[in-house]
Amino acid sequence: MGTKDELEHSFIESGEKARLKELLSQRLKESGWLTEVQSKCRAIIKEKGIENVTSEDLIAEVTPHARKAVPESVKRELLQHIRSFLQQQTGLSDL
Amino acid sequence: MASPCKHLRKHKPDLVKVYKSLCERLVYPATFSDLSHKASFWCCLVCKSKDNPLLCCCLECIYFACLDNQHLKQHFDEKGHKFALSLETGHIYCSECNDFIYDRDCEYARRDAENAHRKLMGFSLNYTWNPGKQEVDQIKQARKRVIRMSSKTTYGLRGLVNLGNTCFMSCILQALTHTPLLRDYFMTDQHRCIPKGVDQCLMCEMAHLFQEFYSGKNTPHIPFKMLHLVWTHARHLAGYEQQDAHEFFIAALDVLHRHSRSSAMARNPQECQCIIDRIFTGKLQSDVTCMSCGGVSTTLDPYWDISLDLGTQTAATGFSDALLCPVDQAVAPASLADCLERFTRPENLGSSAKIKCGRCDTYEESTKQLTLRMLPIVACFHLKRFEHSSKLHKKINDFISFPQYLDMTPYTAIYRDHSAAPEAHQAALLSSRQSLDRIKNKYALFAVVNHHGTIEGGHYTCYIRQHVDDWYKCDDHIISRASLDDVLASQGYLLFYHKQFLDYD
Repeated sequence: MGTKDELEHSFIESGEKARLKELLSQRLKESGWLTEVQSKCRAIIKEKGIENVTSEDLIAEVTPHARKAVPESVKRELLQHIRSFLQQQTGLSDL
Repeated sequence: MASPCKHLRKHKPDLVKVYKSLCERLVYPATFSDLSHKASFWCCLVCKSKDNPLLCCCLECIYFACLDNQHLKQHFDEKGHKFALSLETGHIYCSECNDFIYDRDCEYARRDAENAHRKLMGFSLNYTWNPGKQEVDQIKQARKRVIRMSSKTTYGLRGLVNLGNTCFMSCILQALTHTPLLRDYFMTDQHRCIPKGVDQCLMCEMAHLFQEFYSGKNTPHIPFKMLHLVWTHARHLAGYEQQDAHEFFIAALDVLHRHSRSSAMARNPQECQCIIDRIFTGKLQSDVTCMSCGGVSTTLDPYWDISLDLGTQTAATGFSDALLCPVDQAVAPASLADCLERFTRPENLGSSAKIKCGRCDTYEESTKQLTLRMLPIVACFHLKRFEHSSKLHKKINDFISFPQYLDMTPYTAIYRDHSAAPEAHQAALLSSRQSLDRIKNKYALFAVVNHHGTIEGGHYTCYIRQHVDDWYKCDDHIISRASLDDVLASQGYLLFYHKQFLDYD
């Protein structure tokens, strides 16, 4: 087991992706990130008028800020989980 | 975009069917074989990317492409197709609207599919309230009577007049009226009373108390009827003497539990489904291990609160095994975590308390360990500050620190079983599964009852949480603002924690 394709496949197939997604969304809720990004989106919609905003615009505008706002500890935790998934799949311990 | 999509309607009957099956199988697989299919299809056919969160699937043919670079649009242009769904969220994209669109039937199908998937993965289910036509009409009709509350509103706060040493009751009533799930239950008028004779039901009186708290009045409430009912139903608390708040709490839960039978028929007396049991009952597991054969006998007991010992433990049981009597046993706990750790530690019952072992069929020395088998929604901790022994009665005034948020995982039976396995010691890191389970065991402090004075006499006050993170001090009829620091620095007698994330099933 080793190629990128295979690893991506088993990441989904094993359910690990769904679990990490759930963990991430819980952490973002806990840390207040969700509320912050939601209110940012609301502000943009209010400013431009709901008829003039598409989801794509909203994503493009809010993404840079939202990415920065993710707490370091959450990033570290997720990275750690992904790393241990890869170690377990590949049998390599020095990733 | 705010106006509803006009384009979906024409194709809707066919597309909804396709949408539903795609949602159930590819977006939110409900079986592991579908999860495997998802893994195989998860790829943009143009750029071969597998990590784009905006990967979409065409609703009109089998085609997968990214939305945010032109890949999906190329396909739409070539084939004249219009609709796709996001593989990450299941939302429908319409190329004519140039945006994601909302359709009620599809959204319901999406939510059902999502919950089926969450069930498969062992996640707690999502629940969204959708008001029906009747409810919408009611809300519209009542619009004039709807009160908008600011975040600093005093609704829900009310002082309680002391009726003669009744502060033990006031502080428990304050804690109960600020228990989020209990408030939701009573404010939505869910208690149905089977008449028990006029004005005899404590549940009805609680419902009345909630109405008083949220009536908007700012004069202190006089809980004389409540007191009368308590005296009638819990005779040992009658009279104008000082009473123990913890004892009152347990007595109140007991009476409330008995009186709520009328609205929640208990199918099985062991598993009562009344609101009190649903909120406050947890299960304690007690494992008695025979030291001769290693056989374990397990019993489960329901609990409404956990009483925790303070101070140095008097070695009445006579510890013989050095392993089971660590040095710090003699050290007084300084925090709630210390107390809970001590509570769930294996304890040698000693040579004077031999128990008949079912396997050996003889009386053997044994160890006993308590763990939490099932956690309640509201966890109440009782710090045993009042020491009653044959020789002395005294109050322990040690400061015991307690956190705003508490992870109950280390005290659960499941955790104990896992950490006893040798491989768990090597892997200090938690798996994603364990991390998710831990979230379910997270609790937030919402009320603290304090006792001021000595064992002979004193006064009870309490801190309660309102609107997520505002704290107030309740001293009989006086309610004043407090800070979280005030709360955490208080001595603490009864600590009330509420589960942070509720599971729906």
